[in-house]
This record gives sequence, structure tokens and C-alpha cells, in this order.
Amino acid sequence: MVRNGFKRVVLAGAAWASSLCAAAAQGVAGDQPDTPVAQSEIDAALSTSASPDVADPWEGFNRKMFSAHLFLDGNLLVPAAKAYRATTPKKGRRGIRRFLANIRAPGVFVNDILQGEFGRAGETLGRFVVNSTIGAGGFADPAAQLGIPAHGEDFGQTLAVWGVGSGPYLFLPLVGPSTSRDGFGKIVQIGMDPLFYVRTPPADIARYTRAGVGGISAREQFLDPLAEIEAKSLDYYASFRSFYTQARKREIANGKVDYSDLPDIGEFEEFDDLK
Amino acid sequence: MKTIAANIGRLAFGAVAAAVATTAPASADEAAETFVAGILDEANAVFAAADQAARDAGVEALVDKYVDVERVARFTLGQYARQATPEQMAVYMPLFRKYATSVYSSTLDEYTGEKLAVEDSIDRTERDFIVNSKVVGAKPGSQYADLVVHWRVYRAQDGKQSVVDAGASGVWLAIEQQSTFKSVIANNGGGAAGIDALIADLKAKVGG
Repeated sequence: MVRNGFKRVVLAGAAWASSLCAAAAQGVAGDQPDTPVAQSEIDAALSTSASPDVADPWEGFNRKMFSAHLFLDGNLLVPAAKAYRATTPKKGRRGIRRFLANIRAPGVFVNDILQGEFGRAGETLGRFVVNSTIGAGGFADPAAQLGIPAHGEDFGQTLAVWGVGSGPYLFLPLVGPSTSRDGFGKIVQIGMDPLFYVRTPPADIARYTRAGVGGISAREQFLDPLAEIEAKSLDYYASFRSFYTQARKREIANGKVDYSDLPDIGEFEEFDDLK
Repeated sequence: MKTIAANIGRLAFGAVAAAVATTAPASADEAAETFVAGILDEANAVFAAADQAARDAGVEALVDKYVDVERVARFTLGQYARQATPEQMAVYMPLFRKYATSVYSSTLDEYTGEKLAVEDSIDRTERDFIVNSKVVGAKPGSQYADLVVHWRVYRAQDGKQSVVDAGASGVWLAIEQQSTFKSVIANNGGGAAGIDALIADLKAKVGG
């Protein structure tokens, strides 16, 4: 059952990826009959922070994957994150987070450029130089004090800026929440990591260590907020999906939000009659 | 050479200044900002309390005073609000009030010991405003540095203002609640049965 579901997703992902290649071959935008959808989606993604719903046609599969994730999360990630928290000082953990963010900078830089955000690319480069040197190899963040704030970018966001619609919501165990577009972006992103091309035993060890430490460091940071969301939520899967989708839209829009497609909350024609 | 660079610099500065001047005030709403600033004055006093129970009581009082809980409750049901019977609504409303209050409490608990101040506002329509606030004196690079706390203000026809949603950095509470509640209702058969299931879940959550 699960396996069939997975096959479907992989097939759908492949179909989607090939349609993407076709679109890329045609040039990004245009008046092809199938572009209006993508165009409206990019407008939505670029102009807003939140839409009430995300397309989730794979909900049955996603929910199974979410359960599998929660099992692994509760038995592996959370205990590891708690042990990490118990054995390290707060400032040390912040240093680790900054170090991990700093070595992601080359990937962020490439995506800044691909999105045509040259100012932000300059910020990324400046941060990388400053923090790698006077920032003790990235463990400190003097660049923020100099007024260059951190920002993230990934290939999923670049695809969004290029006009690729988000596609359906996708949840994978340990990988976490994404969409078909952002999942594909994550795979491409692996190739934007300089370390990926260094195939020596020390580099392998560095890669695996980074993946392990990165996962535990990220989980540690979210121990409390996620526990709180789970405790309050009537349907953790749905809450997770909504929080992720809302946050992701703002990320893609680089924090610039015009709030125009938020759903109306106040206006109910029948509301005043009820009172 | 130097003067050319200076002139280009001046030009660029002028363009930026002009852009700021034309966009910033156009979309602000003073009344909504004043309304939220007043709430934040009271909220900052609540965040300063060391005792968790005192903070929770403070947030509950603020929710009762400023949040139009009925409007939000109706919104969170989405299209199912029309299908709910008056009996279901009568049970749902007080349950939602309790639930929303507990969510506000645990969310705002993150700002214990901090102070929020109004930054700017955006008018979506003549009745619907977003007021943005930030943590006062947040250190660069800290978790509060880039954090924007949003307040959604609704202005009724009689001019009375109320809060209908709150969020942080683009993530809104009532929007999440609507998404989750609709999911619960839909996954329990939709319609009246689904709404009953939601009510049962809410009861289990808030112990009402």
C-alpha cells in the first residue's frame, strides 16, 4: 500500500520533472497554453505570505509518511536533540548553527545569482568572507553586527522565482515537508554543495558528519516550538502543513509581502444577522 | 572622477528616497496603529510578569477585551460555518474561545520579558488592516532580530476595531486553525458529522 503510494509519487515526480525540462527548453515564460497556471502561481508565491490551503492530493500517502516520520522523530531525532541540548552550552550550539549556515553560503550565493538578486548575492558573499575570517571560521556572526543580515535561498525558491508552481504538498520521513517543486529543488541543491565534488574519505566523513550534526542541530532548535504545536493541534499533520506552507511563501518572496491574498477574516454578510 | 561617483551616489540616494517617500505613507493606517500600540502597552506589562499563571490570566483578559473571537471562530470553520446548526454553533463558540485563548497564551509566552512596538501598517481594505510590530532592541543576529509580529485588525461599520488574527513572520494563527479545522471536519465525513467530530476534538483539547 505504502509502496504503491510511493511508486505513484516517484512516477508523478518524474513526469513533473520532465515537464519542467520541457518548459525550460521552451524558455521560462511565454504565452503557451499551459503557462497561465504557472504564472498565476508565481504571482501568488511572490505577492503573499499565506494562502489558506495548499494542494495536497497525496494526503493519504503524506499522512503515512508523516506517521513514519513521527516514529523516527520520537525514537531517534528527539532523543538525540535532547542529548545534544543537555551536553552542550547554548552559545556553543549557536556557534554550530552559524558554522553550518556559513558553509551553506556558496549554495545560497548561486541561488541569489540564479534569481537575479545581485544585491543579495553581494550580501551572501560579504557575509561569507567576513564570517569565515574574523568570524572564527563561521562560528561567530560579526557580519550581522555590521548590518548584513543572514538570508537563506535554495533551488526550490529559485524555481519558484522562475515561475514553476509549487506542485502538490509532499512530506517525506526525515526529509520533512516540501512540495514536488521544492523536493526536486532539494535534490538539485545537493549538487550546489562544493563538498559534493570532493570524493575523498575525509570529505566523505565531513559530509556525513555535517548531515548528522545538521539534522540534530536543526531539530534541537525546534524541540520546543514543535512540541508546543503538537500539543495544541487538533490535527498535527494539517497544522504542520499550514505552518510550513505559510512560512515557505514568505521565504520565497524574500520576506517582502503585500498581504493582498490573505483570506478575508472579518467580512461575513450573515454575521451581523446572527448577533 | 570623484564628482561623477558622488553624483551617481546622490542620484541613487534620491531615487531610493523618492521610492520610500511614495510607497511608505500611502498604505499606513494611523487609527489601526494606535489601536495596536495600545494593546501592546498592556501586553508588554503582561510579558513582564514572572509568573506563568499571571501571564496566562493577562493574555486571557487581553483576548476578551480586544479579539473578536466570534468572528474568528466563524472564519476558522471556513465553508462549514454555513452548514453548522445553531446548536452546534452554540457549543462551538465557547470551546473555540477557550482554545484560541490557550493558543495565544502559549504563542505569546515566547515574548516573556520582551517588549513589542508598532513598526508600520498596511491597509488591505478600508475595514481590514495589518499592523506590524517588532521586538524592541533586538540584537542583530538574535532570534528576535528579523522577527515581525503581525496583528490583523478589523474595523466594523460602526468604527469599532478588533483583532481578528495574529502571526509572526508571515505565519498566521487563524489561517492555520482554519486549515486544521477544515481538515478535521473533512476527514470525519464533512458536514454535520464532521463538525461534531471537531467539537469533540476541541472538547478533548481544552477540557470543556
